[in-house]
Amino acid sequence: MQTLSLYLYLVRLQLRTRLQYRGNLVIGWVAQAFGYASVYGTIWIIASRFERLGGWVWPEIALMLGFHVLGYALGALFTFVQLRGMEELVRLGTYDTLMVRPVSPWAFLAFSGINIEYGGHIALGVGMIAWALPQLGIDWSVLTVLQLVASLISAALLTGATLTIVAAMALVLTRSRYLFGIYFDFWELSRYPLTIFALPLQVTLLSIVPLGYMAYVPVAALLGKPVPLIGAAAPFAALLAGPVMVVIAMLVWQACQRRYQGAGG
Amino acid sequence: MYLALAVAGFRTEASFRAQFWFLLLSGVLNVVARVSIWQSVFLHGTGSADVSLPQMVTYAILGATVFSTWEASQLVREMGADIRSGNVVSHLMRPASYPVSLMARLLGGRAHETLLIGLPVAVVMGAVYGFQPPASVGHAVLFALSVALSLFLLFTLATAVATIGFWVMDTLALDWFLRGTLALFSGGLVPLWFYPDAVANAVHHLPFAWIAFYPLAIYLGQLDLTESLVTLLYGLGWAVASAGLLTLLWRAACRRMVVQGG
Repeated sequence: MQTLSLYLYLVRLQLRTRLQYRGNLVIGWVAQAFGYASVYGTIWIIASRFERLGGWVWPEIALMLGFHVLGYALGALFTFVQLRGMEELVRLGTYDTLMVRPVSPWAFLAFSGINIEYGGHIALGVGMIAWALPQLGIDWSVLTVLQLVASLISAALLTGATLTIVAAMALVLTRSRYLFGIYFDFWELSRYPLTIFALPLQVTLLSIVPLGYMAYVPVAALLGKPVPLIGAAAPFAALLAGPVMVVIAMLVWQACQRRYQGAGG
Repeated sequence: MYLALAVAGFRTEASFRAQFWFLLLSGVLNVVARVSIWQSVFLHGTGSADVSLPQMVTYAILGATVFSTWEASQLVREMGADIRSGNVVSHLMRPASYPVSLMARLLGGRAHETLLIGLPVAVVMGAVYGFQPPASVGHAVLFALSVALSLFLLFTLATAVATIGFWVMDTLALDWFLRGTLALFSGGLVPLWFYPDAVANAVHHLPFAWIAFYPLAIYLGQLDLTESLVTLLYGLGWAVASAGLLTLLWRAACRRMVVQGG
């Protein structure tokens, strides 16, 4: 309980710091939302010009893109910017100082650096989902609402866990920034319907780099669309992917921390 | 001296061996994503009467390798960091133009990326998916000129955007605005001939179209030689205008700068 209140205090401190420059924050939100919306605009052009992309029409793709950016933002606000700098923390020896504090280094980094610059992502994601859902004729029930919310939480957990695994590599390899680049390459692939890719890439995105569960699998499951390779297991896979990756990330983080020998002085 | 800076930029990039393999993988994934989209819509969708799948595959491969706009982002971030930290002052004391020095160094990095990553990726992915040669020798020559024009426009526009950082201090937002603008208006991801007419009519005349769309349209022979030449001259006009804009902004920024401390 005391630890939790400490984390909340760290979050409050960070929020107060970031809110000192509200104008900059809002401009940043608008700019980042514009950056994403522009790329989505090009996908809209393809989907509207050719009617379908991988068997998906634009409102279905819009729902997937909204889900993708929202799930990413909810996971990344606790992890990305904080963990992107892991190699500097290791190289400069700053990580050593985190290890002697009476809280988990990961939790300290995650909560003390909570990044509220994702406001634009969240607004764009919510907006796209709100625009797309009424057009898709989903048969709503308590279960489908729960499925939507739980798979969104799973996508956020998947994001946080994957970024944690990438960052943990810095504890062993000293450098991990390139791995973030590779993560984002696969992440960009994961915002298209998986059916447009060849089988090896579909297998990769559903297993070794499981970013297919970020948006494609949960949205396909919600819409009742066929999912290659996992078929009827899609709704359960979408819900489990995040929690399973969290367990894997915890194991990887602990293993890397055990092997950590420091690199700075 | 600027050539020496470009060579230094090339060597700096070449010194990170581990990065090389990751960039190679990154390039491959980028091409795979783009080609998969076009294969999907041409093989399983309605396709297009204006352009063929092999042409679109070539467009995607060149768009992902030769016409990367990553350095523009890097330029805005580097200059933004220099402005925020005040390091820009030490650059201004040197007997060389800071924006041109920065552009030269990043151009060296871009040359490294194109020669050692872009070309191998283009060759390998071209062998896998198929790759079309330029429409004619004349188109090849005009394409080479248009690549030079594209680089000039990309770097001058990015530097002009970064210079706005002297007024707003936070260049992260500027970087995102530039990225979004390039994604939507350069035609690097989706050619402008697929855009709705009303949008395409306007975007065809914006300078961003010369950063990726027109060079690729020239390469594929979508414009005949006369049209290509006229288009290049039009782009040259934009190059002069963007250089003029950058000069004005830079002078205004230097006048505005106040140095405190020592």
